[in-house]
Amino acid sequence: MELQAVLMAAGGGSRMMDLTYNTPKPLLPVGNKPLIWYPLNLLERVGFEEVIVITTKEVQKMISTDPKVKLDVKMKLDLVCIQEDADMGTADALRHIQQKVKTDVLVVSCDLITDAALHEVVDLFRAHNATLSMLMSKAHEFTETVPGQKGKKKTGEQRDFVGVDGTGKRLLFMANEADLDEGVVIRKSIMRKHPRMHIKTGLVDAHLYCLKKSVVDFLADNKSISSIRGELVPYLVRKQFSKSTNSPKVIDETHQNLKKNDKIQISSRDEELLHLTQERSCWNDHRGDMSDAYHGGRLRCYVHIMDEGICYRVNTLAAYIEANRLAPKLFDEPAVHPSAVVSERCLIGADSIIGASCQISDKTSIKRSTIGVSTTVREKVKVTNSIIMHGVTIEEGCNIQGSVICSNAVIGRGADIKYCLVGSHSTAREHNSKIAPEKRLTECHRAEVNITYHYKSITYNNCHKVSK
Amino acid sequence: MSSRGGKQKKGNVTSEQEEEEQPLQAVLVADSFNRRFFPISKDQPRALLPLGNVAMIDYTLEFLTSTGVQETFVFCCWMSNKIKDHLLKSKWCRPTSPNVVHIITSDLYRSLGDVLRDVDAKNLVRNDFILVYGDVVSNIDVSQALQEHRHRRKVDKNISVMTMVFKESSPGHKSRCEEDDVIVAMDSKSKRFSMGTDEFEIRHDLLDCHISICSPQVAELFTDNFDYQTRNDFVRGILVNEEILGNQIHLYVTQDGYGARVSNLQMYDSVSSDMVRRWVYPLTPEANFTDQQGQGCTHSRHNVYRGAEVSLGHGSQMEENVLIGRDTSIGANCHISNSVIGNNCTIGDNVVLDRAHMWNNVHISSNVEIHQSVVCDGAVVKEAVRLNKQCVLAYNVVIGPNLSLPEGTVVSMHHPEEEEEDDDDEFLSDDQEVGHSKDKTRQKAFNPAEVGPEGKGYIWKASMNDTEDEELAQCLWGLVLNPDPESDSESEASEESQDRTFQLEVLGTLQRGLEENIVCDNLVLEINSLKYAYNITLKEVMQILTRVVLEYPFQQQGTQLTTLQYTGSLLPLLKTWSPVFKNYIKRAQDHLDCLSAVEELFLEQDTHQTAMVKVLMKMYQLEILEEEAILKWFSTGATNDKSRQLRKNQGLQKFIQWLKEAEDESSEEGE
Repeated sequence: MELQAVLMAAGGGSRMMDLTYNTPKPLLPVGNKPLIWYPLNLLERVGFEEVIVITTKEVQKMISTDPKVKLDVKMKLDLVCIQEDADMGTADALRHIQQKVKTDVLVVSCDLITDAALHEVVDLFRAHNATLSMLMSKAHEFTETVPGQKGKKKTGEQRDFVGVDGTGKRLLFMANEADLDEGVVIRKSIMRKHPRMHIKTGLVDAHLYCLKKSVVDFLADNKSISSIRGELVPYLVRKQFSKSTNSPKVIDETHQNLKKNDKIQISSRDEELLHLTQERSCWNDHRGDMSDAYHGGRLRCYVHIMDEGICYRVNTLAAYIEANRLAPKLFDEPAVHPSAVVSERCLIGADSIIGASCQISDKTSIKRSTIGVSTTVREKVKVTNSIIMHGVTIEEGCNIQGSVICSNAVIGRGADIKYCLVGSHSTAREHNSKIAPEKRLTECHRAEVNITYHYKSITYNNCHKVSK
Repeated sequence: MSSRGGKQKKGNVTSEQEEEEQPLQAVLVADSFNRRFFPISKDQPRALLPLGNVAMIDYTLEFLTSTGVQETFVFCCWMSNKIKDHLLKSKWCRPTSPNVVHIITSDLYRSLGDVLRDVDAKNLVRNDFILVYGDVVSNIDVSQALQEHRHRRKVDKNISVMTMVFKESSPGHKSRCEEDDVIVAMDSKSKRFSMGTDEFEIRHDLLDCHISICSPQVAELFTDNFDYQTRNDFVRGILVNEEILGNQIHLYVTQDGYGARVSNLQMYDSVSSDMVRRWVYPLTPEANFTDQQGQGCTHSRHNVYRGAEVSLGHGSQMEENVLIGRDTSIGANCHISNSVIGNNCTIGDNVVLDRAHMWNNVHISSNVEIHQSVVCDGAVVKEAVRLNKQCVLAYNVVIGPNLSLPEGTVVSMHHPEEEEEDDDDEFLSDDQEVGHSKDKTRQKAFNPAEVGPEGKGYIWKASMNDTEDEELAQCLWGLVLNPDPESDSESEASEESQDRTFQLEVLGTLQRGLEENIVCDNLVLEINSLKYAYNITLKEVMQILTRVVLEYPFQQQGTQLTTLQYTGSLLPLLKTWSPVFKNYIKRAQDHLDCLSAVEELFLEQDTHQTAMVKVLMKMYQLEILEEEAILKWFSTGATNDKSRQLRKNQGLQKFIQWLKEAEDESSEEGE
């Protein structure tokens, strides 16, 4: 076994609380499959047989009990639960399973939906005997209108500056705008070794990392690092160009650790031969001078930047909607589940998905939408550009456009919902009730919504109180 | 201004054809506006210094002509007469020359800015022009760059004002000038100098050829901004004001071709050797592109070039990359490699030359050894002289016999102090005055210890001037930067240095306290404010304070003190500063920290260990340290062999013994 796969599925989805209020992020339906299915499928496609899944108790329970989130994978899942309230970062989680890590690891986040060729990342890892290799992609502009978001999407997120060498593979520099005081500072010693550096912004980190086992051991020794993306990766990138000689003690020790671990691997993997070849060969990874390959550095970080293809991190509402729109393209299953009961006198676009045991009545029209499992759609309903999760009931004559309706919601007769987010277990029930565009209708917002709509004299009542 | 506006309008109206017909112009600045080549350039302007036996300005003119320049304005200032004479005699001023050379001289040019302002004032350029210095050696075909430049100007409505020519060469490349170590941020697609777009490239593998294609606006911009002195000022100004003024600078990167500016002797050395190794083809020594009589030479294997009438003695070897000018004779059993020898030189027997640059009419006697040095016209090197690396013998210097010049020696007939005197007149080149100063220097005697018994000349020392700029100006060979010490991380390094600066500051404070008799309370205040300024913990303050005080005698009187002298000067100090100590040493832990600092210092100064007891005793007597603390330190503090060794010191043991007894007594008394 060359690589062990680790799936991080304990995140709370803090950037899309409206959706994850009732459903944990890994189990959010995307194209009628739980989100976690996508990375699992990605791993299965490239031949992994076993995955360590780090998740919460809640998710574990739901996976084992809830039939709606059945994971359709043949791999052996090794579920490791961590406490939800412990506020553990990804690096903490990796440290948590250190005992299980026997070889190098491939860490994937549960919110990654991609059709990337995984071998590109792993090949970089292999070819350069890298410490870290990761996947990045060009950032996508989300074109769909997002419920509850007025105007254009704020560019609130701070940009990441990523520096790669002339070949675009070696990761030389990484900084977030937030950490920069005045401009980007790049050390000249790096420039001397890598005279051409492309600085890129507008890249998305896919949160897919190949890491040497020694890095996991290093984590075990350094409890202060809690996040892979936030701390570990920048640290490794920085460490590529520093010598251990004049670093302070703590880092010195870690370096020794790294080296020690390297040595352990040397014996286990014939790396002595590898070193010998490196010594003897005239190959090096740069041009212009005759110094050793990699300038004698032992730590190497690489990145594969996808130029095209799908790569989404479903961590915001906008990304969630976009992912749902694209999901049907990712796998070829019948758009309409065999067990769904669909009336012949309705119109279902080719780009829509109808989940299992749905009931779609006459004269409905469904375009560019996803209809979840066990959803009932009554007569004369028009659904466009929307995501309907599981167990939703939509009564007669509704018009739903550009909205997200969460699980078990009931949409009353004749409702007109445009660009809304309807929370799970909500009820929008009244004849001809109308919900104005761009409103979030969730439990947390309900009170507010009530007031607003009373004021605008649109009746909206009989809220169904839900136990948490 | 109005006339210029009119001209511009007219320029826009003129049809393309007319534009095409306009001859390509160039501005050649035959002055460096600095004194890097002093004292060599005291006698000859830099542009006329021979490189491969051809004046540098000829390379620049040949380069311009070959790229299709039809009209060149040569601007001279320093020793303009000589340049003028040279050019008038050269092929450029013959009627057949495809490149019309206008010589413009003025003693008032002090910088590139002045030259370009004059270009604007005289309305010399009508279209895009090439701007080069008189010491650029290049064979780059800039027509491609010119085309791109014109295209950009057509498309972007004159936004791009300048296209700079760069050559790709990795860091560490020989012809990269260490002082000119550029790092460029560019937009890879549009080849524009830029930052801040979504994606840009930072390049450290570019070599500035100092060739730039400028639009007429450049001269105007120099006029508008009278504080622009150099091209760097200009580039910086344009980039800073890019958003306001909308002007842009582009670059043109060439992969092949050669282009470098001889900005110091290091560069002179490397450009000269590149030339001999034929990197600047077709500008090679045997090409005789200056078309002068008798300059021709033959080219044979291993890049050995011989001029006419060269005689070579028996057993002499010309290994490789050697250029020998006409009428030069070389004695027997010489060994010459990577060297350029000028015309009319005589070289004796058993001479070793490696990377030597000898100009015309040089006389070298037998048994001389020269490594990587420049020997100017008319210099004489007598028997058994050895020139180590980076020596310079300026015009007409005589050296030897039997002398070895240390590395980096510069010898000139001009006295260095003379030079300082007529500092102000340096730009007002006046032959008379040079002659005058020569008279003065003659009055001063040559130092035989420096230049040999028969030597003539004065040693120019790399003067220790206060400002960095001047130091640079004096450094002929240019900076040789050590490879980056690869500081791990700036913050860590700076932290360490912060401790160090804090220590120095404390030392300064205490010193001042002694000199000016400042009250200890005020010293404490000062140290406290320093503590906050450098963000130092209390513990470190105490350790550093202890260290500074204990090292104070060494600091003042040198490290050669005997133990007795040391204690003699230290003990009164301890007494004066005891209030300062008492202020910082309060808790039990402070006592231990202070003691460990004392211990650490005496472990370093192991010859003075006997003084330690006296110091401890004094501190005890002054009630800086308590006896419990000392006892505790003595019993527990030992962590390694050395400190254990220290504790075995007899005097210390006695002191401890005495302390214990005193304690017993006092406790007994208490009872």
